[in-house]
Amino acid sequence: MQKFVVVALNSLLTAGLYATMSYGLAVIYGVMRIINLAHAGLMMLAAYATWALNDRFALDPFLSMVVVAPAFFLIGMGLYATVIRFLPRSSTGPSMQSLLLLFGLWLVLQNLAYAIWGGDTQSILTPYTMESVRFLGGRYGVPQILVFGVSIVSLVGLNLVLRRTFLGKAIRAVTQNRDAAMLSGVNAGQIAAVAFGIGTAFAAMAGSMLSTLYAFTPDFGRSFLLKAFCIIVLGGMESFTGVAVGALVLAFVENFASAYTSIPVSFQDAISFTLLVVVLVAAPGGLPGLWRMLDRRVVAR
Amino acid sequence: MPAESAPILAVSLVSKRFGGLLALDTVSFEVQAGEIFSVIGPNGAGKTTLFSCLVGAVRPTTGSVRFRGEEMSGLRNDQIVNRGLVRTHQIVKPFRDMTVADNIRVGVLFGRLKLRGAKARERVDEVLGRTQLVHRAQAKAGVLSIGELKRLEIARALATGPEVLCLDEVMGGLNPAEIQQAMVLVRALRDSGLTILMIEHHVHAVAGLSDRLAVLNFGKKIAEGRPGEVLRDPAVVAAYLGDESKEEARA
Amino acid sequence: MGVLRRHPALVPGLLFAAALLLAPALAERGTLNDLWNMAFFVVLAAAWNLLGGFAGQVSLGYSAFVGIGAYSTVLLANAGWSPWLTLPVGALLSAAFSVVVGLPTFRLRGPYFTIATIGVGEAVRVIASGLDFTGGSSGVRMPPATFDFNSNYYAMVGLALATLALVAWLQQNAFGLALESIRQDIDGAEALGVNSTRVKLEAHAISSALVAVAGSLYAINFQYISPGSIFDFRLSLTIVLMPIVGGMGTLAGPVIGAMLFSYLQIKLLASPALRDSYLFIYGGLLIVVMLFEPRGIMGLWERLWSRLPRRRSPAIAEARGAG
Repeated sequence: MQKFVVVALNSLLTAGLYATMSYGLAVIYGVMRIINLAHAGLMMLAAYATWALNDRFALDPFLSMVVVAPAFFLIGMGLYATVIRFLPRSSTGPSMQSLLLLFGLWLVLQNLAYAIWGGDTQSILTPYTMESVRFLGGRYGVPQILVFGVSIVSLVGLNLVLRRTFLGKAIRAVTQNRDAAMLSGVNAGQIAAVAFGIGTAFAAMAGSMLSTLYAFTPDFGRSFLLKAFCIIVLGGMESFTGVAVGALVLAFVENFASAYTSIPVSFQDAISFTLLVVVLVAAPGGLPGLWRMLDRRVVAR
Repeated sequence: MPAESAPILAVSLVSKRFGGLLALDTVSFEVQAGEIFSVIGPNGAGKTTLFSCLVGAVRPTTGSVRFRGEEMSGLRNDQIVNRGLVRTHQIVKPFRDMTVADNIRVGVLFGRLKLRGAKARERVDEVLGRTQLVHRAQAKAGVLSIGELKRLEIARALATGPEVLCLDEVMGGLNPAEIQQAMVLVRALRDSGLTILMIEHHVHAVAGLSDRLAVLNFGKKIAEGRPGEVLRDPAVVAAYLGDESKEEARA
Repeated sequence: MGVLRRHPALVPGLLFAAALLLAPALAERGTLNDLWNMAFFVVLAAAWNLLGGFAGQVSLGYSAFVGIGAYSTVLLANAGWSPWLTLPVGALLSAAFSVVVGLPTFRLRGPYFTIATIGVGEAVRVIASGLDFTGGSSGVRMPPATFDFNSNYYAMVGLALATLALVAWLQQNAFGLALESIRQDIDGAEALGVNSTRVKLEAHAISSALVAVAGSLYAINFQYISPGSIFDFRLSLTIVLMPIVGGMGTLAGPVIGAMLFSYLQIKLLASPALRDSYLFIYGGLLIVVMLFEPRGIMGLWERLWSRLPRRRSPAIAEARGAG
């Protein structure tokens, strides 16, 4: 029972990070119907940027997020203006063209990191990296707790923006029905630019946070991208609350699998990948789709 | 008394639900071999969804579709086509980068007949002839006019060698002369041995062509029978006119 | 001779084949090595193109099949098999694996399929690095005294020509039409009787088998393989880039792409500065192609060709046919 609680709490902490990572992808997909493979590259760059700030100016990684996130927001909008907006929009969903183009962008970002910082593994060490806190009989790392805290704050913030501001409503409108939104006066192009900016900023925050928890190389990001993709598919691709649920599910499955089975850690990526394929094949509507299906069975007419 | 022949197509209590929307509600009817049977109703009544259920493009939530006595619900689209039940699409979507002849060839090679070689070439020519597309055989499908595209859509389905052909609004967007041509074609198709189901909005065409009709409204069948009776049925008229008749009653 | 007149594209093809087959008599070892590499790339690109270009299903996990072929050969050779006899085994295993992977993933459309294949490739690499009998991450070696460059050369060139011939033949007949219909409109194809899943699985099996044989020949030629080299994502990436840059869905596209990339590889290996920038180059190429000419070099060629002034008669004949 004790162990269960510890694993459950650890899952919760991980879920926060996963949710932040996935929201970036979800916002971009929702508004532009493109799958941003460069997300991994952006997370990685942000991790390096955080490391560089820490290395040069001894800036605490969590504090540096205040700088990194807005900077990447601007970078995201810049990317949209220079490259993304020239992609043809496909009405039948994400196009191969956009997928491959963003994939190319990811490769370029990787090379950029190699060129600037080399291929050595980097990590960030702060006074509290090794500290942990005792709670209900388990030990929880301070970085993990801080990451969870920042995640919650940023997600609540995003939610407030989406629900209370005009910008947020416009984003949700375009996500649901682009043409109708445009007819209502929304400038879809501007919204897309902002959405790409937000997506990039969230990728950056996730990257900064990841830099406090893990060591990284320019190649890092691929397994996290697969996880993020798994989450948004689980969450139903177009539902923002679904992403939070998906993050929880993945985090729980991973943590419980490694705690209660003997699957080696290196195979952990295979878990998220397997879950991804299973969900894509068995329940393409994600958890919301599954819920709708169950709902119908239960309330048969 | 001649023995009653079994219907070639028997639709029984077919319902289709999309999430919260009930698109079809226990629709039942039977079609006899060699009939021209039309399905009409206001927009959004579920007619195209019905056709999708018949050919397996979409799976009915409940109910059964029996074609020549065999249960079809649960089979894939290509499996049903291979048994002889095929449909055209309301929104025509040919293989744009292929020639008209190749578009037709797909149905010839992979439909029910599964022809090869010389026989396949002959069938392609035959279908081109029947739909008057011979002169456009080598044109890329993307450059055709709307009338030609509609004929191509019929040609593609015809190429598969069906027994029952479901035509979804083949007269949509055509001018009166083209509509006449289409009516001639539909009659010719039936006379060559096919059974035809039609979804159509042009009431005169429907009345002139059909042996029998069914009327759908909000997913439910509200009338069935010969064109003369059905088109005079007050429930049918009300369905098409909507609130207008209620307003008349109030006045 | 009538065949040549009907298919004028055969002429450069035959010249190309002749050049490759005569090369050992005329060129020196260094060049022959480069040609071997090019032939290797031609097989990978042309085979991938069957599923990726003609059927439109872009898989980023093909290094798994190269690896299956390579590992089958090395492991069986070390168990006493004659290397050449291991080729069909690798091909069969690869085809079988492609079906296992294809059954769940072909339910996915377009980009979702592609992302799933990234995961498959990665999973295979991780597992191969973790297992013992595959030599773990340090790889395995062919048994000594099995090397003969001349036969290696003819084997690879032969495979390349056979692959091109097979793909050309498949494209011509009913199978090719099915692939094309799936690429353009998969629902429309199914509505006309095409069993799209079966066609995709068949294309996947054929192309993965060809790729596996190439992998086996690679093992025979280089004598040593490891998960890092043979299951590497970089290889999957190269395999995909060649037909994309050259022109997906055409016969010549993969060949052009293969020539371009084998040339690039030579340049990259020669210069350390460029070697570190290969991701820039690959990524940049992808971005440029996707933005300006998604149909690759062949697409560009076609665009330029259609701008040239042509004889009037075909245009008039079409105009007469219209209406």
